[in-house]
Amino acid sequence: MTDAVSAASAASAAADDEARILDRGYRRYTGHRRGVGGAIRSVAWQGLRSVLGLGRPARAKVLPLASIVFAYLPAVAFVGIAAVLPVDLIGEDALPTYSDYYGFIISAIVLFCALAAPEVLVGDRRTGMLALYLSTPLDRPSYLAAKVIALAVALAMVTVGPPLLLLVAYTFEGAGPEDVGDWLVLFMRILIAGVAVTTAFASTSMAAASLTDRRAFASVGIILLLLVSASLSGVLVDQAELSDLWWTINLLAMPFELAQRIYGEPGDLPELSTWTVVAANLAWTLAGAAVVAWRYRRLRVTR
Amino acid sequence: MTATATPPPDSTPTAAPRIVVDDVSKWFRDVVAVSEVSFTVGPGVTALLGPNGAGKSTLFRVLCGLVPPSRGTVRVLGGDPRRDRELRGRIGLVPQQDALFESFTAADFVRLAGATHGVADPDGAARAALGLVELDPDDHRPCSAYSKGMRQRVKVAAALVHDPEVVILDEPLTGLDPLQRRRMITLFQRLGSEGRCVLVSSHVLDEVARLGSRILVIAQGRLAASGDFRALRELMDDRPHRIQVRTDHPDRLAVGLIEAGVAVGIHIEEDGLVVDTRDADAFGRRIAPVARDHDARLREVTPLDDDLESVFRYLVERR
Amino acid sequence: MGAAAAVAAPAALRLSFRTVFRLLLTRGRLIALGLLGLVAVIVGWAVGISVEPADQLDAGADVMAGLGLAVLIPVVTLVFASASLGDLRDDSTLVYLWLRPMDRWPLAVGAFAASFAVAAPLTLVPLAIGTALTGAGAALVGASILAGLVAVAAYSAVFVLLGLVLRRALMWGLAYVLIWEGFVAAAGAGAARVAIRAYTRSIVYGLTEATTDTTTMSVPTAIIVPLLVAAGALALASWWLGRTDID
Repeated sequence: MTDAVSAASAASAAADDEARILDRGYRRYTGHRRGVGGAIRSVAWQGLRSVLGLGRPARAKVLPLASIVFAYLPAVAFVGIAAVLPVDLIGEDALPTYSDYYGFIISAIVLFCALAAPEVLVGDRRTGMLALYLSTPLDRPSYLAAKVIALAVALAMVTVGPPLLLLVAYTFEGAGPEDVGDWLVLFMRILIAGVAVTTAFASTSMAAASLTDRRAFASVGIILLLLVSASLSGVLVDQAELSDLWWTINLLAMPFELAQRIYGEPGDLPELSTWTVVAANLAWTLAGAAVVAWRYRRLRVTR
Repeated sequence: MTATATPPPDSTPTAAPRIVVDDVSKWFRDVVAVSEVSFTVGPGVTALLGPNGAGKSTLFRVLCGLVPPSRGTVRVLGGDPRRDRELRGRIGLVPQQDALFESFTAADFVRLAGATHGVADPDGAARAALGLVELDPDDHRPCSAYSKGMRQRVKVAAALVHDPEVVILDEPLTGLDPLQRRRMITLFQRLGSEGRCVLVSSHVLDEVARLGSRILVIAQGRLAASGDFRALRELMDDRPHRIQVRTDHPDRLAVGLIEAGVAVGIHIEEDGLVVDTRDADAFGRRIAPVARDHDARLREVTPLDDDLESVFRYLVERR
Repeated sequence: MGAAAAVAAPAALRLSFRTVFRLLLTRGRLIALGLLGLVAVIVGWAVGISVEPADQLDAGADVMAGLGLAVLIPVVTLVFASASLGDLRDDSTLVYLWLRPMDRWPLAVGAFAASFAVAAPLTLVPLAIGTALTGAGAALVGASILAGLVAVAAYSAVFVLLGLVLRRALMWGLAYVLIWEGFVAAAGAGAARVAIRAYTRSIVYGLTEATTDTTTMSVPTAIIVPLLVAAGALALASWWLGRTDID
């Protein structure tokens, strides 16, 4: 022990001769920097977390989780039915098709949209976080890209997830497609239809959320935009008997109609050609994106 | 050291108290924001000190009647600020939050304040109030375009437009640059000398020291001290005063001071001493004769902890 | 010192009306809700050119009751009325109207009047135009304007109170309009009595010959009860302003 002590004191005596002052003040970070890609990933993850209410009290999780649960509930129910009853006892029409599934969960999707987009976009403008984000390697386009990713992933939970669950569960129960090729085709259809619906709704809800600085107002605006465009188009075509093309202003139905066409179904509006439906969705998606881009380009971000 | 319970400690020795707070507590569910606070405030400037979260803003809201006390009574100018409608017109409040009516210009905002206070000529009063805080009454920009310091000044103008007898300012100096702060402090001193009761909260000590010597110290919801902060220093007798003495013969002077019995601790430096003494008055009387007797020349005698910061640190951090 | 005096009720009313009115008029809200009004005009026109003249009264009344009284008026009024004092409370600027030598009720009533003054033209004008375009006749236009006035008054008062008392008043108000008044009250006559929409619908159907809805109450009742509700809501709001903690 004493040897160690004396050795240590001898060493420290020697070290004293070469005394150095270490800079204990501010130091720069010299490690690896993840660049814009890393920044986008962080912002997207943060956006997803805030949509789902993660990291906040339980109250903030209720509505998003409720919407998600409602989106999956029909799938769970149908899977349950398919499991309990033998496949040949159920008529071909008893279980809804994948393309019909969206019809059951429209309100869940609308509600989720109305919550998610304002949560993702409005908060940063109100709290001043946008200024902070733009002082990093992110610029406005990359910031918005991160937000789009967050919203798209969140929406995919209710647009892609439930049909996928249906497919997987049906397959396990022997109620799915027999042929591997058919299965893959169906899988691709589910993905593409889900992406189409997600893109369309993400675009419209982001456009509405970029126009106002109050979350509640944005949510109400999204709901009204979807519902009112639906009833207006109905009135114009059914009541006023105008051209069927007026259906294309129905922001609520167009994405689902496109999903139907992707599944190869005639859809609820067979009077519209598939290309019309595609064009309408494309146009509304681009219009929504344009509104977001215009608004954020014009935004003056200071304090 | 404790604040006396009855009668409430008076921070103004002479004039009649304008604000009387008697055993006031305020809690929000399980959080006690203010606990058994009693004090009186008279005309002049009084500073309310405390660290963040001490309960200063809550106390101010209770004083203005914005929230009722959970227990105890508050009397401002003899009335209950929560119930007395007419009393609300004699109080001016600068609240802590930054928000104003963003679409209004400064002149509009202050004019509205004047009109809602029943001022006879809101326009003229607004111009005068804005002039007091050095803002341009003809500026057409909305408040949303103003810097933080300018917004702060708009709030002060709105609080003064109706010539109130009691002015309560919650952190009024935040966001102001040093020059503006100095001017604002001068304004508060002037308001105090006009006989108004001015209560200012802050946690920036050197500004508070410039405002005046009457303080109320609040920490963790409780009143820790009240009165003149130099007198408070005297009361803190369990802590020796620390005085710096510069002299040409520190060792000789040190011996003399110890022999004279006025020092409980001495730290000798190259050009002087740092002396700890329990009785600053006795020390002050004895230092000169001792120096003369020991042939030491005195160059400087400075109390090192006679300032507000030491008082504050003692009161707050000792808890 | 002390140049100010207590502010009498008429002056207090005028000041709070002007202040809230100015704060409510934001460009975004006006455009968005103006577009909603435009929808009512378009729908009215669509009905007018498509429906047989014999059915125009019924169809027009349905559209009025369906779009105007059920969606347009409640939503527009909700947005403005819940923001009138609600925004002030959320932004912590209510203190600038509260800590004043004024009574409480002029603040509540002034906010109500401001919401009414903004929401009424924004809704009643397109509604009147849309109704006129249905070709159903002047009686329907008159009835819809009267019903609309009563509706705007009742909803304004209720939503001023809601905005003051609740944190997320817009969401709760929308839930009330869409879920309560939409489904629950339409289901049964008993629940209908607790929904403003039932009363305002009764005015339209009671004052015209439209037959598609069996009126559950007389026209005088349908006018007076909502107005009483409005008065009650404003009284409650005034009382609340005196009781609540102000930031």
